[in-house]
Amino acid sequence: MNQSFLNRNSRPISPVRTAAFPVAMALASALFVTACQTTDPEPSPYEQGVIVLNSGNFTDNNGTLSFVPRNSVTASTNIFQQANNRSLIGGMQGYTEIDGKGVILVDNSTAGQDKVEIVEVGTFKSLATLAAPDIENPRHVVQVAPNKAYISCWGATGDFSNFYPNPGYIAVVDLASRKVVKKITVSKGAERLVANGSEVLVGSDGGEKDLYVVDVTTDEVKQKITLGNNPRPIGLDANGQLWVYSANEMIRMNAQNKTVVNRMRVGNSTAKSPSHITFGPNRQNILFVYSFYDAADGYKQKGETYSFSINDTSIPATTPYINRLFSGLGVDPRDGTIYAGVTPSYKQSGFVLRFNPTTARLIDSVRVEIAPSGFYFR
Amino acid sequence: MVTVRASAPERFLAGQKLERVDSAALQQFRFQNLSDLLAFQTPLVFKNYGGGQISTVSFRGTSPNHTAVLWNGVNVNQPMTGQTDFSGLPALGFDQVSVQYGSGGSAVGSDAVGGSLLLRSLPTYAQQGVRASVGYGEASFQNRQMQASVQFAGRPTPAGQLAGKTTLYNHQFNNRYPYRERGYYFMEPSNAWQRGLMQDFFWRNRRNGQWSLNAWLTDYAVTVAPADTLGRERTRTQGYRLLASYEADRWTVRAGWLRDVLDYAKADFSKPSHSLTDRLLTRLERELVGSWGGESLWQVRVGAEVVHYRTRVDGYGGQLITENRADVYALARYQTGRLTASANFRQGFVMGFNPPPTPSLGIDYTLVQRDRSRLNARASVGRSYRVPTLNERYWKNLGNPDLRPEHGLNAEVGLSARIQPTASWLVTVDGTAYRNRIDDWTYWNPDRGYRVENLQQVLARGLELATTATYTQKHWRVGGRLSYGLTRSSQLRAYDVYAQNIVGKQLPYVPVHTTSAMAYTQYRQWRVTLLTQLQSRRYSTFDNTQYLPGIVLTDLMASAPVRLGGLRLQVQGQVNNLFDALILNVKQNAMPGRNYALNVILTTP
Repeated sequence: MNQSFLNRNSRPISPVRTAAFPVAMALASALFVTACQTTDPEPSPYEQGVIVLNSGNFTDNNGTLSFVPRNSVTASTNIFQQANNRSLIGGMQGYTEIDGKGVILVDNSTAGQDKVEIVEVGTFKSLATLAAPDIENPRHVVQVAPNKAYISCWGATGDFSNFYPNPGYIAVVDLASRKVVKKITVSKGAERLVANGSEVLVGSDGGEKDLYVVDVTTDEVKQKITLGNNPRPIGLDANGQLWVYSANEMIRMNAQNKTVVNRMRVGNSTAKSPSHITFGPNRQNILFVYSFYDAADGYKQKGETYSFSINDTSIPATTPYINRLFSGLGVDPRDGTIYAGVTPSYKQSGFVLRFNPTTARLIDSVRVEIAPSGFYFR
Repeated sequence: MVTVRASAPERFLAGQKLERVDSAALQQFRFQNLSDLLAFQTPLVFKNYGGGQISTVSFRGTSPNHTAVLWNGVNVNQPMTGQTDFSGLPALGFDQVSVQYGSGGSAVGSDAVGGSLLLRSLPTYAQQGVRASVGYGEASFQNRQMQASVQFAGRPTPAGQLAGKTTLYNHQFNNRYPYRERGYYFMEPSNAWQRGLMQDFFWRNRRNGQWSLNAWLTDYAVTVAPADTLGRERTRTQGYRLLASYEADRWTVRAGWLRDVLDYAKADFSKPSHSLTDRLLTRLERELVGSWGGESLWQVRVGAEVVHYRTRVDGYGGQLITENRADVYALARYQTGRLTASANFRQGFVMGFNPPPTPSLGIDYTLVQRDRSRLNARASVGRSYRVPTLNERYWKNLGNPDLRPEHGLNAEVGLSARIQPTASWLVTVDGTAYRNRIDDWTYWNPDRGYRVENLQQVLARGLELATTATYTQKHWRVGGRLSYGLTRSSQLRAYDVYAQNIVGKQLPYVPVHTTSAMAYTQYRQWRVTLLTQLQSRRYSTFDNTQYLPGIVLTDLMASAPVRLGGLRLQVQGQVNNLFDALILNVKQNAMPGRNYALNVILTTP
């Protein structure tokens, strides 16, 4: 049976697809099945929709992926378990799709039990598992070339007095052989990755001040740019400019020569800090949650969600975009719908709230799983 | 003359279920811990990580800190966390192990919300001389255990008689699993040791007074991911427990010192986060006994206890914190003919806030009393309470000094029958239904950055059924036990907008159904035992959206005597998890598959 034919058809699709494509694919599959008369093609229940990353509760090791169709308020839960009859066993740390493969980052509470599950896109059937010592505390994954992923990892962590005893690294994964082929040493607490042509920008959380730039052809660090404490790249906006967050500042940079164009302080609160920084529809604005723990009110986390334009020269954060605190933000590239995670507690299911991007009005809500904190749109 | 010994609060809990673990079972499980034994013999459920790691109890649908663990009448729950690690309670060393079901607030004090475990050392004045035994066990995964005990009783002299016991144990868990995972679920790399010394001295003088001196010292450690020099985590706990009592003329005086040390370290074990709590306690009790004619007997015990706490915990800021707690109580029991009734009252005092008064009432009545059969009915109602743990009160930022004690109201009814159809047969049947509502249940509220609050109200209700049958014929003994527990434990109160998904749902890690079965055949000293426990799924979230699958665990045990000159050798073989079932712990790590143990016990005649 011509397996490669099916594989080609279930290849990943750019987030924004034409409506004709699924029809064409369905036709092709139908024709193929009729011609072959052997077995039905594997159903792909998770073709179009939103994959929700549910962090789970740390020591319960019960992070999951849910699937939410765009036109439904019912989620399919624990889709890895559904497909493989076993759970992921760890916190859900990241997900992306690369050339027909889904890459799931799993962070277990016990040292040495973190892993990366590589699954078949659309079905979530496991293809391979990468484990320690190749993968230790995986944080973020990004595609850098065909069948090639970078996964930032903290490495083994220490106790609270010295949480990052080791530099972080990037695990270079060849998805064809499904192996970690190289580790690139980067800054302590390696975090968010942003692909920028033939390079990848590497953020950190270990108290270092440099943004690392890695050349994806040589898999080597080619530049370090001192920007401030714990710099984290956000991405490239509609004008092709690079945004980096560091120590309460949004930094706009020239993506080519890496010079700083503008530095803007976020708000003027001494207590609040921004998190879940995400590009809005069409990368014209940036959304973020601005929150703090109120010591005067039993350390309750309080905050709102704000938005600013990529052309703004200041970020006052005075009028909320949505007057709510969220545990995750995402924007559907197809129609700009805002997806926001709500976590009532880490011992019960959370919700995804959908908002209209122009009115910022609530559209509906979907019950998902524990601590929805990230989204992947397909 | 029978001396009424003080350390028996359960005597005053008429109308409640009490199970005494039989000594044959204790002997059989002497190379395991009490949670292994109780899981097969009672409806108690354990949250167990395996391999010498922590094992905490859920008694009738409650939390681990809702079970009072009493050692010779003194609550030995670790005061920082308010709970006991049952993996550290050896099945050997205690002379009597009893499980007291339901609220025991009036007779036992704090923590006896779901029930109590009563561990007791008893003198054996009758068996004069010295008896010693040495045990060695070698188990799968390079786990091994050594134990030794010496029991002695002196000759009675005009001045009095001395008796005592020394028990030493050393359990090394290397946990060298030959597989890294089972069915895609990781085995958690870990190792552990458990070392302990128990020492009991009893001296009874000619006025029938008795001095007791009991000591129990423990040094336990668990290391998770030991090979990972940066990620490894070690939790070491040390316990020092010392009690001195004098009982005479219906007076009991008691003084004790309990020290709990906990050191937690990651990566570098030389600089752990340190916790130390000392408890100094003194207790005075007076018992009054009388009769209202005929067979009637009434007993009243009044007592008072004062405990001084001294704690120094890095997580509390490292400074010395002291507090005093006191209890006064009056326990009354009346017995006549077929009826036993009790009425008890306790009031606790804690610096800064006081627990509610805890009264209780209970009744036992023999409905049928014949030559070969007896049927008893019982009913009781009682309040319970739990004083917040030191962590809950003092933990930096997250603790809450204004926390109120939890309080519960428990009611239960039961029937028990004992039938001897022929001289060879003995059948017992016991059924209990209970309802226990606990209010001001504390919760580390994630919505408040995990600060602890009195938020929840929990209703636990259930049924417990157990039946045993024994057939004895000359040197043969065949028997079995079957028990079933139905536990519905759920939250009643909606304390935030999302609680509607939680109210009425089964509490996490409390299976609705538990069943255990045990069957044995014994010929002289030869014995084969088959044990099985079943648990329905355990939800891992408050809204019951995720769960750990149900459990079927079967163990097989056999023991045989071997004569070696004048020495008696008992050889014990064990197959744990006979059917190699995949069982997950709450961290979603796999528990070991089929594994074996071979134990040898050498006893002086």
